Amino acid sequence: MTGRSAQKHTVFLWHRRAGLTAIVFVIVLAITGIALNHTDALKLDERYIDSAFLLGWYGLEPEGEAISYDVGEHVITVLDHQVFFNTYPVTTTTQAFHGAVGTAQLIVLAFDTELLLLTADGELVERMPTGQGFSEIQRIGIKYQRPVIETAGPRYYMADEHMLDWDVIINEDIAWAQQITLDQTKMAVMLESFRGRGLTLERVMLDLHSGRIFGAYGIYLMDAAAVALLWLSFSGLWVWWQRQLKQKRKHHYQKHHRG
Amino acid sequence: MKKYVLLLLLLSFSVTGLAGGVYQEPDAFVTEAFAGHPPKAAVIWPSSELKAQMKQILGHDYKGLRIRYWKEGNRTAWILDEIGKDKPITTGFITNQGKIETVRVLIFRESRGWEVRHAFFTDQFDNVALTNMNRLDRNIDNITGATLSVRAVTKLARVALLLDEAVGEKNNT
Repeated sequence: MTGRSAQKHTVFLWHRRAGLTAIVFVIVLAITGIALNHTDALKLDERYIDSAFLLGWYGLEPEGEAISYDVGEHVITVLDHQVFFNTYPVTTTTQAFHGAVGTAQLIVLAFDTELLLLTADGELVERMPTGQGFSEIQRIGIKYQRPVIETAGPRYYMADEHMLDWDVIINEDIAWAQQITLDQTKMAVMLESFRGRGLTLERVMLDLHSGRIFGAYGIYLMDAAAVALLWLSFSGLWVWWQRQLKQKRKHHYQKHHRG
Repeated sequence: MKKYVLLLLLLSFSVTGLAGGVYQEPDAFVTEAFAGHPPKAAVIWPSSELKAQMKQILGHDYKGLRIRYWKEGNRTAWILDEIGKDKPITTGFITNQGKIETVRVLIFRESRGWEVRHAFFTDQFDNVALTNMNRLDRNIDNITGATLSVRAVTKLARVALLLDEAVGEKNNT
């Protein structure tokens, strides 16, 4: 093989390799590029993703089950560390949720070592760490319209109406908070509230096109695909030019040296 | 050389591991503040004016409609939370006639900036009062690498003094 043909062979070989390697990314770039050029016509910004995998990938799918308690006219739910008053997010917590009760003045939510007090409208009144006095709350209930908690032991404490002082009581006539299951419609509204405005198809297309969907290094992956596309253009041009030269030489030989 | 690098790495991890945590339970702080006989807790429901002043200090609304305190004579104990970088720092304050008597970091949840728990930092607040502009009347030295925690505790000190003033006014009326 001559030096020239070896060089041509190498370029052709790398042209083929680059083409095969970049083919998936080029297809993704092309499809997402065309789709993004017609965002309005395809209504990409109005279509919301409901794939659990993609929502999870974007961190929009809650972890764990929703825990809900009925507090009269309202429902308190904790879903993936987020506390909801009906479907309105109130605050966050890192502790396990042990129930909620509605008293005459306040709604009281019980966690491992903390009580949250809300108004009847769901406004946060106070975060109340239980400290050494009583910890490891197991459940919450109500007696004489006052909140009662059961701690590990077990021991039972009843608060005054302002939740400032606690008395030790016996486990008698306490209506313990009962966990409820949200119906599908309420759960759907809850999930919608958890995810905020949700994930649009346009966002996914943009992130696929830029490579950001694959994380911090995804953009370099797409950069590499773009470089491969450039290489394919130049190497393809070079291979085509070499073939043109070969054709010309062949025609010239046939014209001047035949018979 | 590799051994020293490994040792340094291990030491740095162990220091980080020991850094955060519960230094003192809030109610233990209150009990200690009143020599084992804490008064009954009381609450203040900040007025809109007070809320605005707190917001100016903290840079955001104080979460919660009421704040718990323990008062005996002129001494008042406060347990307040403020986020340093990502997580709340729970700090106990004892105020006495418009001045800070004690500052103690009770629960530190962040991975950095825990140096604010040490006395060399908290002692700077002794007898500090508020100016007319709701600023501390003494400069609090920063700790390199713990700037956000220093800011959070300093802001809380200003809030504690502001609340002390409000409680004092409430008791006088």
